[in-house]
Amino acid sequence: MTDWKDNEPIYLQLRQRVIDQIISGGLAEGALIPSIRQVAAQHRINPLTVSRAYQLLSDEGLLDKQRGQGMSVAAGARARARQTERQRFLSVEWPEIARRIRSLNIDARALIATLDDGGAPNEPH
Amino acid sequence: MSLIDARGLRKHYRGMRAGDVCALDGFDLTLEPGRILGLIGPNGSGKTTALKAFLGLTHLDGGDMRVLGLDPRRQRKALMTRTGYIADVGTLPRWMRVHQLLDYVAGVHPGFRRERAQAALSHTDVRPDSRIQGLSRGMTVQLHLALVLAVQADLLVLDEPTLGLDILYRQQFYDRLLSEFDGERQGILITTHEVREIEHLLTDVVFIHHGRAVLQAPMDDLAARFLRLGVGPGEAAAARALGPISERHSLNGIEMVFDGRARSELEPLGPVATPTLPELFVALLGENR
Repeated sequence: MTDWKDNEPIYLQLRQRVIDQIISGGLAEGALIPSIRQVAAQHRINPLTVSRAYQLLSDEGLLDKQRGQGMSVAAGARARARQTERQRFLSVEWPEIARRIRSLNIDARALIATLDDGGAPNEPH
Repeated sequence: MSLIDARGLRKHYRGMRAGDVCALDGFDLTLEPGRILGLIGPNGSGKTTALKAFLGLTHLDGGDMRVLGLDPRRQRKALMTRTGYIADVGTLPRWMRVHQLLDYVAGVHPGFRRERAQAALSHTDVRPDSRIQGLSRGMTVQLHLALVLAVQADLLVLDEPTLGLDILYRQQFYDRLLSEFDGERQGILITTHEVREIEHLLTDVVFIHHGRAVLQAPMDDLAARFLRLGVGPGEAAAARALGPISERHSLNGIEMVFDGRARSELEPLGPVATPTLPELFVALLGENR
């Protein structure tokens, strides 16, 4: 069984997993994605939940229906998925991170500077 | 047409000492094709009596019921050709060998597709010449499932199907069940105490308590209707003013479940989530058990 977050519908979490896979290259453009039955059985979730996630991804132009053989990652999906995720980062994740930075009193500039050398920021004094 | 349409079912058992026991007290349930319905309730709530009634295995004292459009008591034979049933007490003839059992079922059941059962068993450790009494509990359940799923059934009734199975067999059970499920035509009615194990599988849920359906709803409706809010001591009074149906104190602070409040009303007070089915059951029925 899979652990799902309890604050977001599962079909949206499934959609997010597919998007993450497309962005990381785990699912290449043109690759067939697992069938609805496979995903439902593997995660023990309702097939309708899986088909809802796939439908959404298809509406967003990230998946193509292959006649008679399921669905595949659409051409150009990776660039489009990145664009969607950038939007989501800025509107959903970043405000949350910013709130956390403020509540912990972290030096935001020092934090940003670590992005260039890839290390961890020093403790603020 | 609904697969199951039951209205106002009543059933009394004559009690030994405490007088009559009301197992079903005006129980309603509807199951449509393509749906997977979980019947959830504590021991003695009437679950098993309800399942028996749907299968024509028990006499009722009242109510109206159609299963696959049939009267389960009078048309039981016709009903059984299109119904699959797995019970925790399900037994198979222990003295038979597996291939003999397949011969037997093929002989008595017109809808049985032997090659499907054999294909299913080929993925297991159950061999055609195994004697049934020599099979482990898990293997027996696999054999049972292979037989039941090889029947072209419109209705599957599963009563505690994974009781006593280890984690591996459980996964295999649900794997098989879901990969064979026909979402156009079939419906599944399932009861289990391992509610967390099936809650994402369900499209619908019925809570049964003292022989009544206290809640029947699609899972999507539950998610829209019920929300769990975690609050700190500072927000507790404001949250209570919104009328939670339950409140409990936990490591996460105070958790309240609300019925019919908008997410936007609760979010300013703390993190909002969808309650699990066990949480919801306790929230709705915890106090009047």
